[in-house]
Amino acid sequence: MSDFLSESFFHNFNIQENIQEETGNLVSYIKGNVINPIFPDFPMELGTVLAMLVCAGIFVAVVPLLPLVLVLAERKVAARFQNRTGPMRVGPWGTLQTLADGIKLIFKEDFIPQQGDKLLFRLAPYIMFACSFAVFAAIPFGQNILVSDFNIGIFYIMAISSVIVMGVIMAGWSSNSKWSLLGSLRSAAQIVSYEIPLGLSILTVIMLVESLGMREIVENQSGGIFTWLIFRTPFTFIAFFVFFISAIAEVNRTPFDLPEAESEIVAGFHTEYSGMRFALFFIAEYANMFAVSAIGVTLFLGGYEGILPGYDFLGGLPGFVLKTLGLVFVMMWLRWTLPRLRVDQLMNLCWKYFIPISFFNILGTGIWGLIFKDDDVWSMGISCAIIYVCLIGVYAVAGRNLARRPEPQTSSA
Amino acid sequence: MDKYIRNIYKGVYTVLVGMRITIRQFFEPNVTHQYPYEHDFEKKQNVREIPKGYRGQLYNRIEDCIGCKKCELICPVDCITIIGDKLPKGEQLWDSMNVVHLKDGREVIGIIEGDDKKIMSEDAMTITNITTRLGPQEVIDRLEASGDENRTETLSTEEVSRVVTRNPVVFYLDQFDIDMSLCMYCGLCTEVCPTQCLVMKDSLEGIEYSSFDRTDLIFNFDKQEMYKKDDAENTEVVEA
Amino acid sequence: METTQQTESKMIELKPFTDEMVVNMGPQHPSTHGVLRLELRLDGEVVREAIPHIGYLHRCFEKHSENLSYPQIIPFTDRMDYVAAMNQNWGFCLAVEKLMAADEKKDFAVPERAEYLRVLICELNRIASHLLSFGTYGMDLGAFTPFLYAFRDRERLLLLFEKVCGARLTYNYIRIGGVSEIIPMEPGSIDEQDFLDEIEGFLDYFEPKIDEYNDLLTSNSIFSERTMGVAVMSAEMALSYGATGPNLRGSGVDWDLRRDEPYSIYDRFDYEVPVAKDIPELGAVVGDCWSRYKVRMDEMRQSVCIVRQILAEGLPDGPVMADMKAVRPPKGEIYFRSEAPRGELGFYIVSDGTPKPVRVKGRSPCFSALSALQELSRGLMVADIIAIIGSIDIVMGEVDR
Repeated sequence: MSDFLSESFFHNFNIQENIQEETGNLVSYIKGNVINPIFPDFPMELGTVLAMLVCAGIFVAVVPLLPLVLVLAERKVAARFQNRTGPMRVGPWGTLQTLADGIKLIFKEDFIPQQGDKLLFRLAPYIMFACSFAVFAAIPFGQNILVSDFNIGIFYIMAISSVIVMGVIMAGWSSNSKWSLLGSLRSAAQIVSYEIPLGLSILTVIMLVESLGMREIVENQSGGIFTWLIFRTPFTFIAFFVFFISAIAEVNRTPFDLPEAESEIVAGFHTEYSGMRFALFFIAEYANMFAVSAIGVTLFLGGYEGILPGYDFLGGLPGFVLKTLGLVFVMMWLRWTLPRLRVDQLMNLCWKYFIPISFFNILGTGIWGLIFKDDDVWSMGISCAIIYVCLIGVYAVAGRNLARRPEPQTSSA
Repeated sequence: MDKYIRNIYKGVYTVLVGMRITIRQFFEPNVTHQYPYEHDFEKKQNVREIPKGYRGQLYNRIEDCIGCKKCELICPVDCITIIGDKLPKGEQLWDSMNVVHLKDGREVIGIIEGDDKKIMSEDAMTITNITTRLGPQEVIDRLEASGDENRTETLSTEEVSRVVTRNPVVFYLDQFDIDMSLCMYCGLCTEVCPTQCLVMKDSLEGIEYSSFDRTDLIFNFDKQEMYKKDDAENTEVVEA
Repeated sequence: METTQQTESKMIELKPFTDEMVVNMGPQHPSTHGVLRLELRLDGEVVREAIPHIGYLHRCFEKHSENLSYPQIIPFTDRMDYVAAMNQNWGFCLAVEKLMAADEKKDFAVPERAEYLRVLICELNRIASHLLSFGTYGMDLGAFTPFLYAFRDRERLLLLFEKVCGARLTYNYIRIGGVSEIIPMEPGSIDEQDFLDEIEGFLDYFEPKIDEYNDLLTSNSIFSERTMGVAVMSAEMALSYGATGPNLRGSGVDWDLRRDEPYSIYDRFDYEVPVAKDIPELGAVVGDCWSRYKVRMDEMRQSVCIVRQILAEGLPDGPVMADMKAVRPPKGEIYFRSEAPRGELGFYIVSDGTPKPVRVKGRSPCFSALSALQELSRGLMVADIIAIIGSIDIVMGEVDR
């Protein structure tokens, strides 16, 4: 295992060989179309490095705009759910509100607790920020819009997003505040636990695709909506929901926002943060939210592939972003509907429900793979039929009486 | 196992029910107002109506105030300060007073200016009403409607104050301050006011009078110009 | 032959000794409903002890009242439970009226119309209060949207109150001997009809909303997980702590002053008193947070029922204020309790025959309920503390007075 890892890992970073072979990614595109024509005399290595820097520049410039948009979207969506209008004052329809908030945060006092661990306190937001950004390197936004097509793409994403918890714990510990500590430890327990169902759900996909590379996963789903991995087997259908809910837990959003549960532990791990450092947490949170949605789309909802094989409807970069924003909207929808779980119930949900279900999925996917050797119309048709029948069956047989509205209780009754 | 599946089902179902409710609200219209923009005197659109009798800022029409100090007495938080001197003997605030008995049993006390005691028309005299907070025109209309012109009698100031307050002493007001930063808007003072000159503004300006300086919230009503014509006409007050 | 074997499963106690953490929750905390300060001794997430400290909103109501005349005290009762100020007004007025009625020389009775208006307004106020309780409870548990839905509906009620008394929160509407005439409403006039129609419109709008809220929050599985079986207050415990109102009925004690010691005209209406019961299929236990919350939700429905009966009968004609010159109760003392939204609101008044009371004591239902917090919260988790505070529905203005 370790041999395999180190081999593939270093293989991937063997720039000279690798880049020459790879053609489809953003780095090689920029190198071929921008760097080389402008500086034809550059040595190849320098050109590659320059192209990488340009790529990084693009992402560092573009990705912070996502939270900028998403924060506003969240506030507007929340407002609509609550019959309000949301921010309306700054700019037309309040569209510049996040910008104004950002400017305010930049100018705020940069407060560091005197008794806190100052180094860690400074470091924590950057770790979170950097990790949430690094995830974007492996997300295929489009056919060629991909910074690097690792052959271990999804593995890399899992690894990087796990480091986020380090930032949370560092923030909570270094603040020297009890609320922060409680929040960060909650977060640690939560993220570590929910990595498991998340990883296991991803495993079902990997079993079907037989690859860890993000682009390969997407291209495996190029045959229209029924080849999307969510519909490929009934088990991936379940796995998608397990993945999605675990992802919500991973990014600490309601109903799993215990690390920053404002009504319980004030603001959790970022209680003591202010100004730009707080803004970094905030940006990281929303970038994460977008990132996990994008991963969900890549893995289960066809990535940049469209609904129909030949056509580009819901495909390409716009389709990808649209699908991702759809998942983000569902996250917001859930957030503004549901109350928050308690910490032990959170663990219950993970260990008693999601992990067994995930194992069941893996088992089922394996058996499915044995029965239907290759994905053809038959397997997909059967899969969709099973999903449909199961949904209808659960609705009809189990009936509404399982979750009926509690009757009014009175003394006379 | 049964319970396990039940739990899953229940969780999913109730979450979906909740989501259905919120998404339905998603397409409902707003219930909020964009307050300073929509809440506008000029535009008058989408303005939330301030109901009649809303308890806003206290306002005293000093020309009608007889200085009985009942409001100062009833105020639970002592936000009203009245300093009044007794009138020197022989002096009067008003030259004469007319009491008009209306048919509906009401007494209108006011100053009728004119040669004739008879109420002829608007031109002949002006009536500044004291008790019922009606504008001059309304009083005249009402008098005409009652057709009971002759039952006007002229009283001296002391007699008027006796009628109005059952208190023979008439004060000349040196100071009438209301500290709105102390006021708790209970409205008790407006109820006890015998001449109903102390009112709470039920208009937008009775609500929006905040200031950066606390001393700006002390309103000196004694400094007010007597018989300001705009006041009498613009301040519409509930008739008792 | 059976031996007295220990059949209970032995708990294996792991005692990894960790340091206890003492945390201050409040007075500035998002979900302590004002300025409650809790001193929490935590073992990780588990609460060893929660000691409530009160007094941050103390405004000397009782001492202040000794220097005020009776009508002047009424605006101060508004500030006790500012969420249900009408009921606080009424509680005080009822006490003073009973004290005045003890004077046999004076013929003193509250007019019929005033009684109807009082019941009407106070039941609407009860709905407003329970709506706020429902909304904030949702928010305490992390659901923000029910909070704003509750405020949206409460706003309509506040507009009604605004029309009838000119204020949105501190009403000072119910007076000794009747109700305020500050905004006159002639019997049978168009004003009155408009007012009643508006109430009817609200009720028609509101009744389906209760079901919606039950779907949104009450039966939500996360919500019921958080609240069912948490902090069970047994009937004995509720009685011994003096918990009243929905907290007592949530513990399964069938006691409602409106029905059991009817004051005013409550005996003329037909309504039921919600009392919590075990619901095994859902997992609700009598006395847990969910039961207390559910009693409030059901009470809103009963209040709607009472208001509908008044609307069907129509308001009687007549004055709204008893004919009396001054409020000067005879020498004596009185304790009168009434059913406010948060429980039994009692006023103890000692009079020496002057216009000012010698002593006024308010018996606050929230204070009694809050005293049970320490026992309820032992061994639960931090998140449960929030659930308890929300479920006993305290208003710090009333606890501290």
